[in-house]
Amino acid sequence: MMSAMTPSRRNMWIAIAAVALAQAAVLGWMIWQRAQLLSTGREIVLEVIPVDPRSLFQGDYVALGYDISRVPISEGAPPIGRGSVIYVTLQKAGELWHQLTSSTTKPENLPPDQVFIKGRVEYASTPTAAAPGQASVHYGIEDFFVPEGAGRELEKLVGQKKIDALITVDAAGNAGIKGLVADGKRVYEEPLL
Amino acid sequence: MSRYARRLDRDLARWREQGWISPDGEASIRRDVAGRTRSMELAPVLGILGAVLIGFGAMSFVAAHWNEMARLFRLAIILGGLFGAYGLAGFLFDRDHPAFAHAAILTGVALFGAGIMLIAQMFHISGHAPDAVLTWALGALGAGVVLRSNPALALAMLLMGLWGGWETGDSDRVYWPFLIGWGAVAAAMLWRGWIPGLHLAALALTVWTISLGYYLFHGHGHSIVIAIGLLIAAAGLAGPIIFGRWRTWGAVAYGMAIAFAGLFALQFIETAPLERLIWLAILSLALVVGGIWIGLRSSNGALLWLGYGGFSIEVLALYFKTIGTLLGSSLFFLSAGVIVILLAAAAYRLHSRAQPGLEPAP
Repeated sequence: MMSAMTPSRRNMWIAIAAVALAQAAVLGWMIWQRAQLLSTGREIVLEVIPVDPRSLFQGDYVALGYDISRVPISEGAPPIGRGSVIYVTLQKAGELWHQLTSSTTKPENLPPDQVFIKGRVEYASTPTAAAPGQASVHYGIEDFFVPEGAGRELEKLVGQKKIDALITVDAAGNAGIKGLVADGKRVYEEPLL
Repeated sequence: MSRYARRLDRDLARWREQGWISPDGEASIRRDVAGRTRSMELAPVLGILGAVLIGFGAMSFVAAHWNEMARLFRLAIILGGLFGAYGLAGFLFDRDHPAFAHAAILTGVALFGAGIMLIAQMFHISGHAPDAVLTWALGALGAGVVLRSNPALALAMLLMGLWGGWETGDSDRVYWPFLIGWGAVAAAMLWRGWIPGLHLAALALTVWTISLGYYLFHGHGHSIVIAIGLLIAAAGLAGPIIFGRWRTWGAVAYGMAIAFAGLFALQFIETAPLERLIWLAILSLALVVGGIWIGLRSSNGALLWLGYGGFSIEVLALYFKTIGTLLGSSLFFLSAGVIVILLAAAAYRLHSRAQPGLEPAP
């Protein structure tokens, strides 16, 4: 198929190099984007809420829940479908940040003690006269990966509500986990690489 | 030896004994067949299977989150493996071992996916998982097109299916963008003229079309599925009449399978009133018998076995569902049996009139 040093042989090596470099570049771009978010994004601290008190530790990650994981929907609000984007505005109170409002459009001109975070609706119940509706929202900060078998201690701390999460948010509302905070001290702070 | 070659082997011996062909003629035919048929060799198949195993090994390595090793070092291992696999592919192409080179390419694509997973784990990204699968699929498609690698294209098609299925399950709606991803991979397979790949593409589209019935019109879109299936089958039947060549049996088989799946859902997944159930059952049996008939006429094995399979599924499902009462079921099966036997008699009459003195093969 490829005899000695023909152009087709050179082309083959060029093609191989192009594919390998392109795939490595995609991986590098993912890392750069994430490192950018973690280093330049605004730091906020969210209280971690136990998702399932019996079994938080699933395999090799700890499931983290937040008060913004459940977003109330007021009566008369436009219906929100699964998979749609939602923006939640947070307000700083003491060390922690709490949910203030939510909208389907990007908030603008927020005061300095507020920040918005972008989420994806997993499930939404429609509000009725009897009960307000609620949306279950994911922000991409719900899984904290830990080394195999090292999650027990963390699970206990989360169960006792002693853990807060250090989150970075960029200008577009994308969020990432930067580390965990226990009793005001940073534990499990992740290096960039 | 392929099935055709085995059969020809028997026939050639018989024809030579009958004196219909000379030993020289037989030898020429054998040489021609040996030159044309490319039987599947064991070594390349084992190479591909080995690549699949290495890919799963890499993914498990990432999932183990082995802390003894620094994260940067784990990333270096995955990236080094990726470059190593593609480098090996180039070396094997160079040494004229294309089959093993394609296994190395497949390993490279698998390591690309493992790299995506590792980065998600490093930064605790639990974002939208189907996006990661799509990135992986596009990487596989790129490698398949640039390196003209059929195994990479097959992986791209599987990943596109996973992506579309995941998005559909997540949103509980028909996920139309799947058609774009599917079309891109199918076009690459068409460009390569790779028939097994095109069957994989057709299979993916068949599953997607059947799923339409469960998502369109609040989950009651099965009639649309039946219509689409019958249209595809009709196009497959009309194709040879228009283009003059019998090459579209695949479309007939896929179309009939789609229509059958739609009919099945209407009968056994939705709740059909008795009269409608009977009509749908008659339609299903007619479709299946039609498929078997076309399969026999065209000696298309796949269509034939699909027909037999569909017949068994339909009859068993009807038996367990029971049509109204057990007595009703009995009446339905008895009358259907009588009709099919009458059809058999008619087919026999037609056949013996066309070829007097010949018993049709069972």
